[in-house]
Parts: sequence; structure tokens; C-alpha cells
Amino acid sequence: MAFDDDAREEGLHYPPALPRRAAAARPFLAFTVAAALLGAVFAAVSTGDFIRHLDRQVHSIHCSYIPGAGAEIGDSGCRTVMLSPYSSVLRALLWGGLPISLLALAVFAYLVMHAARPLLSSAPFTKHDSLYLVAAAALPVVMSVLYGYISVTRVGAVCKLCVGMYATSGALLFGALLAHVQADAAPAGAPVPLPRYARWFGEGVVYVAVLSLAYVLFAPASPKSLQGCGTLVTKGDSGIMIPLGQTRGGTPAITVVDPLCPACKGFDERMQASDLYRNLSVQAVLFPLDRACNWMVKESLHPGACAVSEAMLCDRAAAEDILAWAFANQAPLRELASTDDAGIRQRIESQFPTVKGCLGSSRIQNQLNKSLRWAVANALPVLTPQLFIGDKRVCDEDTDLGLEYTVARMLRGETPS
Amino acid sequence: MPDRTHLALFVGCLALPLAFVVASEHAAGTRLRSATDAAAEVPIATAAEDAYCSAQLKQVVRRVASACGLLESGARGCKPADAKAVAALTGEDFNALFTPLSQRARIVQFDEGEGRLDEAGMREIETVWAEKRGASFFFVVSRASTDGGVGYNAQLSQARAQAVLQHLEAKFPQDEDLKKVGLLWLGEEFAQLGPEFCDWQRSRTGSPCTAQDINRSAFVAWIDCAI
Repeated sequence: MAFDDDAREEGLHYPPALPRRAAAARPFLAFTVAAALLGAVFAAVSTGDFIRHLDRQVHSIHCSYIPGAGAEIGDSGCRTVMLSPYSSVLRALLWGGLPISLLALAVFAYLVMHAARPLLSSAPFTKHDSLYLVAAAALPVVMSVLYGYISVTRVGAVCKLCVGMYATSGALLFGALLAHVQADAAPAGAPVPLPRYARWFGEGVVYVAVLSLAYVLFAPASPKSLQGCGTLVTKGDSGIMIPLGQTRGGTPAITVVDPLCPACKGFDERMQASDLYRNLSVQAVLFPLDRACNWMVKESLHPGACAVSEAMLCDRAAAEDILAWAFANQAPLRELASTDDAGIRQRIESQFPTVKGCLGSSRIQNQLNKSLRWAVANALPVLTPQLFIGDKRVCDEDTDLGLEYTVARMLRGETPS
Repeated sequence: MPDRTHLALFVGCLALPLAFVVASEHAAGTRLRSATDAAAEVPIATAAEDAYCSAQLKQVVRRVASACGLLESGARGCKPADAKAVAALTGEDFNALFTPLSQRARIVQFDEGEGRLDEAGMREIETVWAEKRGASFFFVVSRASTDGGVGYNAQLSQARAQAVLQHLEAKFPQDEDLKKVGLLWLGEEFAQLGPEFCDWQRSRTGSPCTAQDINRSAFVAWIDCAI
């Protein structure tokens, strides 16, 4: 529905010539369209990166202030943000959830359309029209502030594509505000056109709904997520298990972790953020990928992990604190251990004095060895992290974006159709 | 006319991202269906299989495990005559099999005519036991020097092997891995150690070491072979 038609329907009459001020608003409308378009491109690149991962493989992620540039396969702020539970909603209902960037794409596309409309129309662009545009343009700004805050305080990483969206959101609102200033005054005595606003709002809802529905309908599914990837052959003795989280009555789950493995840290953060520690009674089995104790690795992927694992077994009451400390200091601990094994042991002992006299003892080495042998007895892949719900192994590709979805379904005992 | 323009704008702005999303998801679905199982390429956790695990060494260890018996079978090891038959090797060849374990094995020394462990011997055994890593089998090969009679030395070497086992049982009670201990006592009859073994890690490192001394011993080692 066009602006002039809207006005006609509402019985308003405008002078035939385009007013001077309305013409003055056009450059700002054009600027607003351009900003929305740029925001849509940023959102599309981010959505594209997210969707590519629906094939359950590892892909590069674009991480640049220039949309489409800076594809990286390694760790980046964009990857951290994408794998965080805040990158999507409804994660327990849909593998990976509905990406926030898709919603952003819908909103930016809608704003392109909405801001371009008066540019293509000969009807006057009044403050009634511009007021709605300002309100609509404020939505991405509000969301930018909210997600920027979450990004910094909860995720601890900032994604450049997101920053691009934040910036374009600001520019978009700026353009809308200037267009509002330059817009014609509304006809004297004309009431705020709430029905028109409702219709425009409805159009925005259609954009979001259509894109979301299409996303859900066409999202690829894999029965493997529910089948799992193997089962435990032997549960092992409780001496090697370290309880994690506070829940003791939930469904039993086992995580296979290496305290100095970056992926394990990310996995732990996802588990915490997803509240899965509350629903599961999680126990950890230590599987350090460190040649000092693990004969299954030719080179130490995470030097120092054996020492940290020993410390966790030495003081089981403080094991979670030791793990949290190791996660928080992974890089310096690995670096220290790669040159000085005694050094990392001293560092652990100074941080956790209760492990003195135990660290490095034959009793504790024997216990850590049993953890590793538990992996052998169950013929586990030599990688971390791994998650078992009951005795069913969650596929590795389901431990990041699909974690909540897979665990939720496994907990419900769903079977693949 | 404006209606059409605006409708086209509405549809166009919606259709473009819609097509992008659907096409991207379709491509992801195609890749998902054709993807190979990446996990299959990840190595599986296994017991250690070191380079020194020659077929002959594995044969000897396997024979000890079956013929001489692991603890779980109720047997208590092999006496010298059995050991010769089990090894089916000359003494020199038998010892040569274990040469690559020079950094892995320890030699626990005993006093002359003594079947009891001293403190250093106990510590040595505990150290070796803790260095299990991925090994599948714990080997105890005890000997006696040529001092004394053959029968006496057979009994003495048996006592030495049993002393190692008893210390492990006392120090690590309930340890499932005790079932992986294999005992072989050779007396003075088979595979006497040469003086070159004095250079190995032994419980009395630094003390004088003659051919007689080195054979008043129990050789202890985890064997990193998938038996």
C-alpha cells in the first residue's frame, strides 16, 4: 500500500506540489535506505556463515568490518560469538536455533523497503510518516545496545560483523531522525495514523515471519543427532569421575575433557550458558591430550594438561575451581608447560596449596592413567571434548551449535524417524 | 501504478533475503547428506604399541600371559624349566628382546640369598608401577646369581618375584591392574643378565655392580605392546 493511497483512504488532502521541506528529506531518506541496505548485507553475511554450519562441518567465518571479507577458519571473535548460546533463539527446538542475524536481516530488509517507499512516492512525506520510520529504525539500535552488552559482558568477545550491524543501525537511526526533522508537518488536526502504523508494523512482522518460517522449514536435519555416535561399553569406576555443576539428581552425563583444551573451555561455557548443568548430573573424565601422560598422542597438543588433571584428581573438592582456573589461564599455562614441566607444577601448587605432596605422586599418576584407560576400554576417539548423555555419545558436530537441541531430544528419549 | 511499484518493492525486498536463506540452507542440506564421517578419521584410544614390540617379544609376553598365567587365571607364574619352554629362545636372545626397554624397565636388586625387598627396591617398584601409561602387561622377571644350588636359586628367584607382587598388592590393593602382572622366575638356569645391565636403571644405582649382583634381581617393566 502506497503513502498517497494511505492518505487518500484517510481523507487527507495535500497540496499538489511537493513541499520544499519534503524534498529536503529525500537525501536523508536515501541515506537511511543505504544504511539499511548495508546493515542487511552485514546481516546476510553473518546469516550465511551461520547457515553454512548447518551441514555440521567446520567452515571459515567472515570476520571483518568489510562485509564478505576476512574469512577465517581459526578462532575469532565472530566464531566465539556465533558458537555462543546468544547467537540464536529457540535452540532447544531447532538444531542451532533461529539465528539472531536472520531476524536482523529481516528487519534491515524491511527498513530498506520502508525507507525507499517515500522515495518512490510523489506523496508528501510528513512527520507522521517519519515518526514511524524513526521508531522502526530505533529497533535495530535497541537490539545493538542489548547484544553489544551481552557480547562484552557474557560472551567476552566482539564480532566485527556485529559491530558493522551496530554501526549501520546507528547510521540508520541518524538518517531517520534527520529525515524526520526535514519532513513536512502533518496536516493540521490530523490524528496520529495508528491504523497505518499498525499496517506498516504488520508488514514488518510479515518480513520476520516469512524469513523465520522459511528458515525453519528448509533447515537441514540429520537423524544422526538423535542416534548419537556410539555408546559406552564400560562405565568405569567412580574414582576417575569428577562431578561438575551443582545438580546431582539430573540425567547422568559424562564429559570427556582436557583442562587446557580451548574447545573444552568453549564447550563448558556453552554448557553453563545453556543451563545444561542444571538438567544433567554431569561428571567429568579427564583425558589430557598431553604426551607427558597420554601415550595416544604423538605430540603434546596441550602441554601441562597432565599436571592440571593430576591436581584435579588430588583435590576433588576443589576440582571445579582448578578447572575454572585452568580454563581462564589456558594459554599461559600451556606456554609455561611447553618449556618447564616443573614450572607448571609449582604454579599449580602455589595456586592450590592443597595439592602439594600429591601432585606427581605414583598414586595420582595411577589414577589419571585409569582415566585414560577408561577411554581405551570404551574405544573413544582421541579428541576432546566429548559428551555422553546416559551411555549415548553425543556426536562431535552436535556439541556446539546443536548442543541444546541434541541434548533436549536425547533427554526426552526421542528416536530418529 | 504506484501500487505496483510499492508492491514490487515489498516483494523484492522480501524475496531477495528469502531466496538467499533458502538457497544457503539447501546447499547446507546437500553437503550434510553427502558428508563423510569426519569422526572416522580421528584415531581411537588404544593401548600403547611401541616400536620395540617385535613379534618375538609379543610372543614371549603372550606365552607368559597364557602358559605361565596371569593372576586372574589362578596361576602364579613360570618356573625356570617352564620359562625356557615358554620363551623358546636362547637366554641371550631372550634378554635381547628386552634391550629396547632400557629406559622403561628397572632392575630391583636384592641382597645375596635374600628374597625380601629393601626400601629402595620398594620405591623403584612403585615408580615403575606409576609409569603404566598405555601398557597392557606388567612383567616381573626375577633371577638369582649362580651362588648356591640350582634348586635353591630357583626358589630364591621365585621368592623375589613374589615379593614384587606382594608389595604391589599391599601398596595398591583393589587395583584392577594387578591382574596384568605376569611373573617369570628364572633362577640361575636361564637368561642370566650380563654386566651391561648394570647401566640400566636399578634400585642400587651408584653401588658396585658385578655379574653376580645384577642377577640377584627382579626385572620389572610395563610392556607397551597390545597383547
